[in-house]
Amino acid sequence: MSEVVIKNLKKIYDNKVTAVHDVNIEIKDKEFIVLVGPSGCGKSTTLRMVAGLEEISDGELYIDGKLVNDVAPKDRDIAMVFQSYALYPHMTVYENMAFALKLRKTPKAEIDRKVKEVAAILDITQYLNRKPKALSGGQRQRVAIGRAMVRDPKVFLMDEPLSNLDAKLRNQMRAEIIKLRQRINTTFMYVTHDQTEAMTLGDRIVIMKDGFVNQIGTPQEVFNKPVNLFVAGFIGMPVMNFFDSCKLLLENGVYYAEIRGVRFELSAFQQKALKENGVQPCAIVAGIRPQHITVGDGELKAVVEVSEMMGSEYNIHAKSGEDEVVMVIPTVGLETDVSMGATVNFNTQPELIQLFDKETGNNLIWYDADSAAKNEPVCKQYL
Amino acid sequence: MTRTTMSPQLRRRENISGYLFLLPSLIFFIGFVVVPMIMCVVTSFFDANMNMNTPDKFIGFANYVELWKDPVFLKALVNTFIIVLVSVPFVCIFSLWVASAIYKMKEGLLSFFRIVFYLPVVTGSVAVTVVWKWMYNNYYGIFNYLFKNVGLIDQNINWLGDPRFALACIIIILLTTSVGQPIVLYVSALSNVDQSLVEAAEVDGATNLQVFWRIKWPQIMPTTLYILVITTINSFQCFALIQLLTSGGPNYATETVMYYIYYTAFKLYRFGYGNAMGVILAIFIGILSAIQFRLAREK
Repeated sequence: MSEVVIKNLKKIYDNKVTAVHDVNIEIKDKEFIVLVGPSGCGKSTTLRMVAGLEEISDGELYIDGKLVNDVAPKDRDIAMVFQSYALYPHMTVYENMAFALKLRKTPKAEIDRKVKEVAAILDITQYLNRKPKALSGGQRQRVAIGRAMVRDPKVFLMDEPLSNLDAKLRNQMRAEIIKLRQRINTTFMYVTHDQTEAMTLGDRIVIMKDGFVNQIGTPQEVFNKPVNLFVAGFIGMPVMNFFDSCKLLLENGVYYAEIRGVRFELSAFQQKALKENGVQPCAIVAGIRPQHITVGDGELKAVVEVSEMMGSEYNIHAKSGEDEVVMVIPTVGLETDVSMGATVNFNTQPELIQLFDKETGNNLIWYDADSAAKNEPVCKQYL
Repeated sequence: MTRTTMSPQLRRRENISGYLFLLPSLIFFIGFVVVPMIMCVVTSFFDANMNMNTPDKFIGFANYVELWKDPVFLKALVNTFIIVLVSVPFVCIFSLWVASAIYKMKEGLLSFFRIVFYLPVVTGSVAVTVVWKWMYNNYYGIFNYLFKNVGLIDQNINWLGDPRFALACIIIILLTTSVGQPIVLYVSALSNVDQSLVEAAEVDGATNLQVFWRIKWPQIMPTTLYILVITTINSFQCFALIQLLTSGGPNYATETVMYYIYYTAFKLYRFGYGNAMGVILAIFIGILSAIQFRLAREK
C-alpha cells in the first residue's frame, strides 16, 4: 500500500507569493496520476513538496497513511526523476544506479543483481561503465529512470522527465514509460505541461492553473466533461473552438444554445443537467471540439483561411464571423470544397456542445462546485 | 560542433590575423618570462656576479653541489616546507569551511563576509605587515597586552625575535592574507554546484555530510586543485613578509628559499648560485603541483 493523500496543501514563498493554493488530491495505491498545467501553475511545486524538497507552508501530506510534512526526503521512501535527469556526472551509469542502494548499506551482491536487472529492462546494460556525459539524451533519461527503479520506492515522482527530449524520442519514451508502469506497479506522480503526455499516461489527471486545481478526473472525463473554459481549452489537440457571444435560451421549458444566430435544441441529458443546476437563460461561450464538426451541412458558415492536408484528415482553419474555427475533417468521402477562400457550411451535434458561462467560464453542465477551484455560482451573467 | 570548411587561402588569412593579434602579448611573454627563465637556468651553471670586469666562469654543477652543503639553504628549505605544509592544508580547509557556511546566506550578508575575508588580499602587503608588526611588538604589541591580561604569559615575548615563535608568527600573517581568494573561489564554486544533483542525492537517501562528500566535493574539485596549486606556489614564494619583518632572522629561524635567493643574488652578488636555488625551487613547485594534479585526477 502506498497511497498519497494531499490535504489543503499550500505553498507561500518568503516574498508572500502563493504558488499553491489549498490543493487536495487523493492518490490511490498503484495509481498513475499526472499533474498538468501551464508554466507557473504550481504543479512542480506540489510535486517537490511531496518529495520533501520544498517546505510545506500549510496543509497535510500523508504517504502510506503517515503524516510526512516534517520528514526529510531521504526518509520518505520516494524516488524522483528530474527534468534535467540530475545524473551524478563524476559517477558511471552503474555507480549512479547503485548510489541509493549503497547509502542504504545494501549488500554488494544484491546491488549488483538489482542494477543489472533494471539495466536489462531499460536496455542500458552496455552503458553501465560509461559516464553520463558519454550518453545521448534518451539514454540519460533511461539511466535516470533506472536509478529510481532500483530502489523499489513507495512513490515514484517524475518532474517533466521527457521535456528535454526531441519529439520523436519523447513519443518513444512515453510508450516505454507506459510499458514500465506495468512492470513497476507502484504509485506514480508525474508532472508535465504536455496534455498529450497527461492524456496517454495518466489514470487520472489533475489540471492546475495559477496554483489552483481546476479539475481531477480520468482522461475521458477531462476531455468530455471539462468543468471550465481553461480545462476545455487546455485538454485536446487541436484545442476546442470557442464561440463568443452565444446565448442559452429557455422556451417552454426547453433549453436552446444559440450560436451565431443558429439555434440548437440541447439533448435530453443537457436539459436535465441544466434544470438540476437551476440555470437561467444567460450569455454563454459555446465550445465545440474540432473533431466534433462536420462540413457540408448545417446553417453555420465559415470562410476557409488555411487548409492543411494531414493524410487521413484535413485540419481546416476558418473564420466564422469574428470567431476562429478549427475543424478536423476526415478526407474519406469529403465532397465539400475546403480549399483556401471557400465558404463552407458546418454543423455539430447538440450533445457535443459545451456550454460555458461567459463571465465565470464555468461549464453549465459539468461544473462541480466541490472540485472546482473557486467557489463561484454556476452562472453570473443572466439574460 | 561541426567545423566550417574554409578554403586554404581564407584559412591562411585567418591564421595570419590570429597571430598578429597574439603578437604583442607573445613578445612580452618571450621577452620577460621565457628569456629570463632560460637565462636563469643557463646562469646557474656559471659563477656569475654581473661584473663586467670579471667575466662569468662556467663551473658546471658546482652551484648545485654547493647548495646541499650550505646549512643556510638547507635551513631555508626546511622553513619553506614547514610554511607550505602548514599553510596549504589550513588555507584549503579553512576557506572551504567558511565558504560552506556563508555561500547560502542572503546577498548582503554574503557580500559582507566576502569583503571581510578579501580585505587583507587587496590591502597593500606593506600596510598589512606594518599593522602585524605593531601587534607583535615586544613592548606595546596587542598580543603581549592581551595574553598578559588573561594570564597566558608572565612577561612580554619578543614574538618576531624569538626563534621559537618567529616562523609561526610569519605563518599566521601569511594565512590571514591567503584565505581571501580561496574563500571567494569556493563560494562561487559551491553556488555553481547543480542544485538538482544535491536534491537527487537527498531523495536517494544521502545525509548532509554524504551530500557534501559524495556530490559537492567532486563538483568543486577543479576549484580545490586550483587553490592547492596557487597556495603552494604562494607559500613557496614567501618573501615580502620576511623582508619587511625579520630579514630571515633570528638566527635564520625565518629564512625562506625565496628570501635567501634574493639575499644571495642582490646582497652577495652571487647570481649563479641564486639562480641555482631558483631552479631547485621551481623543480619542487613543479613536483608538488604534479602530485596534486595526479591526486585530483584519480579522485
